[in-house]
Amino acid sequence: MFEAVKKYSTFTDQTNPLTKIMLAVILFVTVIFIHNPNTLFYLMIFMLFLLIVLSGIQYKYLIILLLFIFISGLISSMYMIFYGEGTTLLFEFGIINITEESLIRGIHVAMRGVILSLFGALLIFTVKITDVFYSLMIQLKVKAKYAYSFMAAIRMVPLIISEYMQLRQAKKVRKALIYKKHISGFKGIKTTIVTLISQSIRRAYRLGIAMESKGFSDNKRTYYYKTSFSKYDLYFILLVLASIWIAILLGSSIPVINITDAR
Amino acid sequence: MTKRKGLTLTDVLITVVIALVFAVIYSLWDGIYTILQPFGLHLNELVYGMWFIAAIVAYLIIRKPGVALIAEFAAASGETIVLLQFDISLIMYGLLQGLVCELIFLIFKYKSTHLMVVVMAGIAAALITLPLDWYYGYLGHLESWNLILMFSLRILSGAVVAGWLGHVLYRAVKETGVLKFIGSSSSDSTEGL
Repeated sequence: MFEAVKKYSTFTDQTNPLTKIMLAVILFVTVIFIHNPNTLFYLMIFMLFLLIVLSGIQYKYLIILLLFIFISGLISSMYMIFYGEGTTLLFEFGIINITEESLIRGIHVAMRGVILSLFGALLIFTVKITDVFYSLMIQLKVKAKYAYSFMAAIRMVPLIISEYMQLRQAKKVRKALIYKKHISGFKGIKTTIVTLISQSIRRAYRLGIAMESKGFSDNKRTYYYKTSFSKYDLYFILLVLASIWIAILLGSSIPVINITDAR
Repeated sequence: MTKRKGLTLTDVLITVVIALVFAVIYSLWDGIYTILQPFGLHLNELVYGMWFIAAIVAYLIIRKPGVALIAEFAAASGETIVLLQFDISLIMYGLLQGLVCELIFLIFKYKSTHLMVVVMAGIAAALITLPLDWYYGYLGHLESWNLILMFSLRILSGAVVAGWLGHVLYRAVKETGVLKFIGSSSSDSTEGL
């Protein structure tokens, strides 16, 4: 999907999607248990490095993405920066009071989100979404009916989007003729959702019957695309685990700031 | 068609598609969530229920075990599919919310379409991820008025947006007549007509 903006491909592209998802889960659990902002800072640098080197995406696109990730990370932790508990007051305005403790804690929470988003972006750039479902079927023995319904449903997303756009234009054209409440407001939203859902159900029902009659719900099958585990999975696992380990070491030995516990 | 127990491919496909419709709508409205986030007043919690409305609508339509969980997983991965952003915490939250909805529906043996059942499921789904948020976002270190505001807005959203709105949408979809052949209601020809 990203071939057009990719400069080169790395071994990460050959890594099994399940390995990457499993590592993402490990990363999620790890960042929850890290309370040292220095460690998180180093981990964030490592993840940034992995994304830039391993994704192979052109830099101009990466920069836009990185801006988006950092800004949304900061916005989502604003509640803590503004209203967190703390004793050393830095700034006060109305109900907002920023203290040193809450600022550090807020940045800490933001870094957690940023680390996960950076790793998530690496996944998006190196995984083909159909491969996820193939490896779920082949490696994890998930029943074909689940995997194939997901893949079929994903193909319907562009249809849903275009239907939504069509609906919006149709409403725009008829704007002068129908009561305002049916276009904007709750009723407008409701009719939009109901139209989209009922159309999609109809389409999914037809497709489901067709797929069932062609034996897609049957479990014994061979696969056109094959996914497997290889040495590249081992490399990737070692790379991510090493990043976490080195970040923990650096965080305790060469701290960037003096505070070692965000709590 | 004879009535079959368990989920058929068609059931799963319909569930996933319903979840993806909500994912598309949610993604198109993604701006709202971002606009509501600044100032840290948790106004974004008001639309939090939109994350698990898919599980509730899918359950009401199909009424079979496993539907809520699949719908939640699909809705959570919907962001990845529609917006091409992968967020592992979202998937994990989604699975937890789906599981707790399943639990509520299990208590009612996957039969009831009563409003109170889905409102309960909505509240349960809103509550289940609070412990995770507590550790992830250090909520214990927040000023208490802000914390109470966040909790109450989220529970309200679970009950109203997920539960009530989900039920309203289900009744409206039922009126269109598309549910005639679908789910466990298929043997019962008067249901859903």
